[in-house]
Amino acid sequence: MAAIEDFFDHPDAIGIGDKVYVMDPSRCIGCNACVQACTECDTHKGNSMMHLEEVDRASSTQTAPMVCMHCDDPTCAEVCPADAIKKTEDGVVQSAEKSRCIGCSNCVIACPFGVPEYYEEFDMMMKCDMCYDRTSVGSEPMCTSVCPSQALWYGTIEEFHATRPGTLSNEFQFGNRLVTTRVHTVVHEPGPLDVLLGRSFEPSVVSDPFGFDEIGLPEVVG
Amino acid sequence: MARAPLTEAELIETYGPHLNREPKGGWDRDIQIDKVVDTHCCFCGQQCGIKLKVADNAVVGFEPWYDFPFNEGKLCPKGVKRYLQGSHPDRLLEPLQRTDAGFEPTEWDPALERVVDEIHRIQAAYGKDAFSVISGSSLTTEKTYLMGKFARMAVGTANIDYNGRLCMVSAAGANKKALGMDRASNSWADIPLAEVVFVAGANIAECAPITTDYIWRARDNGAKLIMADPRVTPLARTADCFLGLRPGTDSALMGAILNEMISRDLLDHDFIAEHTIGFEEAAAAVAEMTPKAAQEITGVPASRIEQAAELWGRPKTGVLLHARGIEHHSKGVQNVLSCINIGLAAGRYGKPGCGVMTITGQANGQGGREQGQKADQLPGARDIGNPEHRAVVAERWGCSPEDIPQAGLSYQEQFQAILDGDIKGMLLICTNPMVALPDTNMVKAALEKLEFFVVIDFFLSETAHHADLVLPGSLHEEDEGVVTTAEGRCVKINAAVTPPGNAKRDWEIILELANRLGAQRYFPYEGPEDIFEEIRKVSAGGMADYAGMTWDRITAEHGLFWPCPTEDHPGTPRLYEGGKFAHPDGKARFIPVTYQPAAEQVDVDYPLLLTTGRVISQFLSGTQTRRIGPLVDQYPEPLVEMHPRLAERHGITTGDLVRVRSRRGEMTAPAQVVETIRPDTVFVPYHWANGQQANLLTNPVLDPGSKIPEYKVCAVQIERVTTGGTPQDARDTRLTTG
Amino acid sequence: MDRRALALGALAAGLVILASAAGSGWFQWFDTALAGYLFGVVFFAFATVYRYTVWLRRPPTAKLHARGWEALWHRGDRGRNTGSLLGLIVRNLFLQDFIWKRSKSRWLAHQTLFWGCMLAVAVTFPLTLGWIHFTSVGQSARTYETSFFTIPVLEFDVGGVIAWFFFHALDISAVLVLIGVFIFLFRRLKEPGAVATTRANDHLALAGLFAVSVTGLMLTVSHQFLAGQYYNFINVLHALTVMIGLAYIPFGKLFHIFQRPANLGVKFYKRAADEGEPQICTECGEGFASALQVGDLKDILPELGFDYGSDDGNWQDVCPGCRRRLLARSQSLRVGGFG
Repeated sequence: MAAIEDFFDHPDAIGIGDKVYVMDPSRCIGCNACVQACTECDTHKGNSMMHLEEVDRASSTQTAPMVCMHCDDPTCAEVCPADAIKKTEDGVVQSAEKSRCIGCSNCVIACPFGVPEYYEEFDMMMKCDMCYDRTSVGSEPMCTSVCPSQALWYGTIEEFHATRPGTLSNEFQFGNRLVTTRVHTVVHEPGPLDVLLGRSFEPSVVSDPFGFDEIGLPEVVG
Repeated sequence: MARAPLTEAELIETYGPHLNREPKGGWDRDIQIDKVVDTHCCFCGQQCGIKLKVADNAVVGFEPWYDFPFNEGKLCPKGVKRYLQGSHPDRLLEPLQRTDAGFEPTEWDPALERVVDEIHRIQAAYGKDAFSVISGSSLTTEKTYLMGKFARMAVGTANIDYNGRLCMVSAAGANKKALGMDRASNSWADIPLAEVVFVAGANIAECAPITTDYIWRARDNGAKLIMADPRVTPLARTADCFLGLRPGTDSALMGAILNEMISRDLLDHDFIAEHTIGFEEAAAAVAEMTPKAAQEITGVPASRIEQAAELWGRPKTGVLLHARGIEHHSKGVQNVLSCINIGLAAGRYGKPGCGVMTITGQANGQGGREQGQKADQLPGARDIGNPEHRAVVAERWGCSPEDIPQAGLSYQEQFQAILDGDIKGMLLICTNPMVALPDTNMVKAALEKLEFFVVIDFFLSETAHHADLVLPGSLHEEDEGVVTTAEGRCVKINAAVTPPGNAKRDWEIILELANRLGAQRYFPYEGPEDIFEEIRKVSAGGMADYAGMTWDRITAEHGLFWPCPTEDHPGTPRLYEGGKFAHPDGKARFIPVTYQPAAEQVDVDYPLLLTTGRVISQFLSGTQTRRIGPLVDQYPEPLVEMHPRLAERHGITTGDLVRVRSRRGEMTAPAQVVETIRPDTVFVPYHWANGQQANLLTNPVLDPGSKIPEYKVCAVQIERVTTGGTPQDARDTRLTTG
Repeated sequence: MDRRALALGALAAGLVILASAAGSGWFQWFDTALAGYLFGVVFFAFATVYRYTVWLRRPPTAKLHARGWEALWHRGDRGRNTGSLLGLIVRNLFLQDFIWKRSKSRWLAHQTLFWGCMLAVAVTFPLTLGWIHFTSVGQSARTYETSFFTIPVLEFDVGGVIAWFFFHALDISAVLVLIGVFIFLFRRLKEPGAVATTRANDHLALAGLFAVSVTGLMLTVSHQFLAGQYYNFINVLHALTVMIGLAYIPFGKLFHIFQRPANLGVKFYKRAADEGEPQICTECGEGFASALQVGDLKDILPELGFDYGSDDGNWQDVCPGCRRRLLARSQSLRVGGFG
């Protein structure tokens, strides 16, 4: 049940408009600029809402960035027992409302993208709100602003297609569930991203970066 | 004499590195931002634009500078957290003098007087050149100009050199030799226009992160990416053609590519004929270096070399970017020349989407060497040995050419000269040889032999531990001036705050010393802008011509590319347009390069190759970045990267402590077992101190031309010391707590 | 409308009226001047219970509610739990140390607001319901007698400390509330983090608290310093703000007063979950969260129409880190496979 406050528009917001957030993990160089920049936000000082991790450092330098995908029908908000997670009219799923969150971690466990985090010291959940303080007044999220490889990108869909190849997709298949999101990712061919297929991924370059298949394994001395 | 007065542990206890994690006053502060200052990052040669938020005379955060054209707001983690170097508990606030009990604060007046007395004493006893000056390339161009002039006209020593000597000099030397000018051939704006991008010996993602986006923009336009590196670096992971070569074999690889380009006739014959000389000799030098032959030397499959030649040679446009990976060698100049040769052979100069560029490592690596603090150069990138050049500078300085000393010793050579007894005193600013120079044990022995050693720095670096006197200088954000970036773009650094405590701006200290040394008439400056105005006059007509630049123009035009000879000249982002090179005849030179092995080869005792480099979260010797908590957290200590096949032989798993030993020293660090490195090579990043220097191992052999040390290859052995724990990501465990 | 909630709300309203009747000697001691306030309280009781009931019926809330009590009363843990419950009530509900860790100034503001309101409730509700009344003793009107539920309990002198407190308790609470309101307001105007997240509607609750407190203080000002000038007008104004405020609480931001105690249930639920089996990630084999809570979510999610099942197992059995890594891998597959 909504509170009275929820029926008000945000008068100081000009809104995000037709801007989209695009996350292309394949371009990530794992530099952590996004993570470090995220900690600078005045609303969650010193804590990063951005996730970044090595996929499997032993075999690859691939890294996986993750922001809140801002689902059209957010699982986190639905499993929240305290109605603490709200979506704005422009489709941004806000972080937990401080006065409501009771720190149960349902959202942390249920989010299909693994985004929200429970902060024990504050006894509440915090997550990415697409820098709503910046984006709602026409500026850019901090992570896309700094991202050196532009694996994290922000702009209109037209701008994206004018400068970058690939198709944008905001559909993600998790088993039987199809999740649509405000944040897009990049694919070559249209269609939902079947996340479970990630299990069968075998890196093509990395499997033989040094061409040992061709020249044979070098003798290891030492 | 300059032995550290206390143990390392005691010095660290007092002077750090301590970790600064939060802006002044802590996160839970109620502050108001007083102003936001447009300036640049203090770290690498890309000099990203950044806005610094200032509250109560402290930099407390940043905001992206979207309008600055080079990076359009983008920053790496170092840029994001750079502000934490300010308001730091380790900051030096007053002059320190060494006593038996440690460092004690002193006043400026006696401290400066002592420096002057010691310079006089040492020079009287041992000769003018027995007192040397070492400077750095993180200083503004005004300061680097001042250091060169100070050493030569106030101290009167030939021995002035700088830490760019450890960085870009191989590229500088090769560019001058082949093209007639020492500067990246193009601005970065040409990268997205290229049909192929060849990256040789550059870990773009970690050492020049913002360049990643330029390369992706090229690839978005259809460009192919070739990367040559002994490690699958984060960007190399996505390369169209990865050349995983053995360290020290770069010119064999490039020679084979040239060889293959010739066989496949992937040459720009018109360009070669009209704009170059010496192609036949260069071709002859690689006649035997077939891809098959190169496979034996480099360990790169011949098919990949052929593919690289095709990808590089076939298109009409292409850029080649190189960095320390090919330059930090005793054959560094040759390695760069071998790149230039394939650039010339494909006609990749003076046109949109073309160029062969070195990626300058240091903030002012470019500007820092062209205005007179390099041992063999005078302002305007003039040769110190050239009588005409000397005469021009002497006339503009108001002295006679004889008053200007001849070429001095390079950075590394100065340390050898200390051990040889030729240098007895040293003034050092903005560099940390205890971490940065190869063969740390030798560096330490040299510092301890100095009769007098004075350091100007803002933190007590590991090198400053050995100082007799430490003078607190200024941080980047406490002073203003210009720097010239990797692109050759001269940009303006603006002061955000004033120096804290009794610290002074570096130029104030140097001017004070110059006056006390009786050289006032050569240093009539009120501030850095006066120095810049003199640089304009002195560099006029030189190679690095700044005559047409003013601080106002630089600010208004978001930087200016030299040469810029007049105030109505737009600057020169792209060199050699129309194939006009900087040699008097306008032609570029092919210089024949025959592959020569690295100075140290593997053998039974030292059977592995060591290569060193950087990580994204640290910068150079770490004097600043090892004091910034969030950056330290990201990569807290050096790791010894090795292939699982090598690790298996030694029973090593990730996290085990591993001792790496070379003929010069040993260091111990945890293992990182990864398939992304050649099985015959180990990698150790070099930013750390106190026994964790990768440079304890490296070989101080120099390139005969550029005098750059061979950081990138030496022979080592490894051995497991103890079993370590598995590193864990705290963020993943948070979930289960509470 | 939720019928069950309506019924429970009505029951609550009835109970309040009954309590008022019982406490005031069947309205014998009820102060008719406070009739408006009584109406406000009755509606407040109805609305709060109504909203609370609706809230509790949402599947995740219902599950948590059941689990919280279950964990609290778990046989064998009751002794321990009662002990920790008291501690939690003090630390969490009264001292609010979790806010202290978020921000010191916010904690201070929240504490002054909280205690100001508590004091006001403690004074006004019994008065409004007629549970407490005062009668003068003897002829001098120097001594008053306080009755609670019509039973005399305390006599005091009008010039004494007790009298001063009775007459000024609401002024004290108003001042406390105003301090809190102004700290909050200052933060929202000055503190960059608060500025960034504050929306205009966040001021609604503050505006209400401000109005109630200021009109209340004005009554004292009128009475003490203006010889009762404007008293009646201010009195009506104050009553109006209070009644609007009471009607707002169950439907506005301040409803968190009633939601927050659920945090205690969460503590016991999490403790029980942590003492049970961990959930093992089907990808990396590491434990994450608790099997109990993951199981509960797997029950709740289909009720909400979210089916994360598949032939390859339930996505909810994959840990958050592996979810993120698998997404990166699956995306790499779709852009040419480099990794």
